[in-house]
Amino acid sequence: MGRIRHDAMDRHGDFEVVVACDTEIDPKATVPMVTDPMAVYEYNPDVIVCSVPNMMIPDVVCTALERGKHVFSEKPPGRNSKDVRRMIAAEEAARAAHGGLVLKFGFNHRVHDAIEEAKKLTDAGTMGDLYFMRGVYGKAGGPNYSQNWRNDPELSGGGILIDQGIHMLDLFQMFAGRFTDVQSFVQRKFWTDVPVEDNAFALMKNADGIVASVHSSATQWQHTFRLELYMRNGFLSVDGILSASGSYGTEVLTVALNRLDATGSPIPNPEQQELRFTEDRSWDKEIAEFHAAVVKGTPLVCGTSQQALDVMELVEAIYAADPEWSTARQSTPQMAME
Amino acid sequence: MQTPVFLDHLPDIDAVAGQKPAQYRLERNKALLELMLDQSTVWHDRNACPACDQDTTQNPFFSQTMMEFRRCMNCNSIYAARVPGQTTIDRLRLDHIQARAADAGGDREFEFTSLLNWISLTEARLERKLDRVLDIRFATQAPAWPDATERLSHNRSWDFLELTPESDDFSALEAAVAKAAPKAILMPAELDRVADPAALLSALKAAATPGTVIFVASSCADGLEYEILGADSPSFVPLDRLTVFSVKGFETLSTKLGLQVLEISTPGRLDAVILDRYFKSAENTAIPFWSSFFREADKNRLRDLQILLQRSLKSGVLRFVLET
Repeated sequence: MGRIRHDAMDRHGDFEVVVACDTEIDPKATVPMVTDPMAVYEYNPDVIVCSVPNMMIPDVVCTALERGKHVFSEKPPGRNSKDVRRMIAAEEAARAAHGGLVLKFGFNHRVHDAIEEAKKLTDAGTMGDLYFMRGVYGKAGGPNYSQNWRNDPELSGGGILIDQGIHMLDLFQMFAGRFTDVQSFVQRKFWTDVPVEDNAFALMKNADGIVASVHSSATQWQHTFRLELYMRNGFLSVDGILSASGSYGTEVLTVALNRLDATGSPIPNPEQQELRFTEDRSWDKEIAEFHAAVVKGTPLVCGTSQQALDVMELVEAIYAADPEWSTARQSTPQMAME
Repeated sequence: MQTPVFLDHLPDIDAVAGQKPAQYRLERNKALLELMLDQSTVWHDRNACPACDQDTTQNPFFSQTMMEFRRCMNCNSIYAARVPGQTTIDRLRLDHIQARAADAGGDREFEFTSLLNWISLTEARLERKLDRVLDIRFATQAPAWPDATERLSHNRSWDFLELTPESDDFSALEAAVAKAAPKAILMPAELDRVADPAALLSALKAAATPGTVIFVASSCADGLEYEILGADSPSFVPLDRLTVFSVKGFETLSTKLGLQVLEISTPGRLDAVILDRYFKSAENTAIPFWSSFFREADKNRLRDLQILLQRSLKSGVLRFVLET
């Protein structure tokens, strides 16, 4: 992820990367490299981009804020809501001490072209009131699944839900606000040698009565992203999401407004408009928003610490809503993180 | 710029190949013949492609039946090599509409809804209120259209500019557009029927305030029906198809006139069913691939083909969204 961010900053043009920190020095690196995270401060950067495993995020973010640095951090924002609250406290303290510091988290799905177009359509009011949403986000595990830090709850905070499903939950909250009433089933079926979930199903409702269901899966053998929104006057869906691997396909936004019969009732199967997006500009948009926030003081729209807290609380609510999973999680030291 | 694909049911072939459409074609061809036989008719030669200005002498014949049509080697647009004056065209068209007034009904509700939804969804994507729309002549062509806008188009006011005999420079139309001061203009049935599409677009651009959004639809020369059937396509009614733009051709013309192209699509739904009927109905000459493709085609295959054509901008109708 660090390289992706570095490339995006290079494309932006108004960033100068002064140092990079990694576990090993890359002899081909075009910028100075260090392996000690604290050594980066010797280069006196204005901004810290935090692309580290989940358990390191709070320390890196808080240290940077305490030192008066603007911070761009990957998602998930730590391992749990406690981590996020700690970062929010550091953000508030840093703003009081240094003024105008920016903390942004990289929930890049919000700024994918198809998602932005969908948001325009819902915001315009053309589609009418939102009734319900469905989201499926899944993949086929991944190489060295059981050895990957992402599946060690001490390091990651959870499994597929907190790693990938969190994007879908963030989108739900972007379209409909906070979800508070949650039911769920959280399972470990195929990857049984690790103590994190490989499937999470959740049904949730917000204060306005909007219902959303999500299925986050590591056994979705065909990589899949599908978000559907059903509204009073029609529906829209986003199929596929552009990614570095390209394995989730191109993004296809499909939208339809109902056709009405003589009595005003919707006729089934309305004409649909399909829009395809083939270029992933999300990384560039995120960096541009971060830059504008740092340089011009433009308020963040995407990736605020409050959004990070809201989505992390929803992740925890989904884990907690399955009594079996919750009990197992509490009884397993590795899983009882929060 | 966006290129939406419009997905819908395949229409019934009778929409173009039934008795009523056949009667319509005969009547329009009769009007054209009478026009050609009338010694007083003044014709204007088109020495260049009306879309991209390619010299006509470089463009081969598309058809020489009744009237001479050329297909532009540069942009693929199809156009009549000579056209009567705009006033004459409009008078003929009005006469025909009035003669068929009793038969003008027909259920066009889905077509109307498609046009209204097109505007609504584009408005939302543009994040701009298009709450005052001027319809250019479609209300004359489709008398049920104003009623449909009243029933189905909320939060939007409509003005309807009726078809009246126009001068070649569309000066009256230009004045009417300026007076209406719309935020959007809808013109779904004019481009292929007028003598000088560039003059029409120029009049719109001159009259509309900057930022006005123009929704245009027309027949499309890139459609597979035209590519395979040529002038035998049932959609090719010469008097109604004085200019059949290609996507490239219309984009070139729009850009040349200083219009910004916001959206391009080819939402035609008839190519597959027209070709299916053609290949299944007669002992046609065998065309490699396509003959067997259509003879073995079921509805699913036809629908898949029509969607592929749309995704490739190769169906027989085009839609553009332009901005002045």
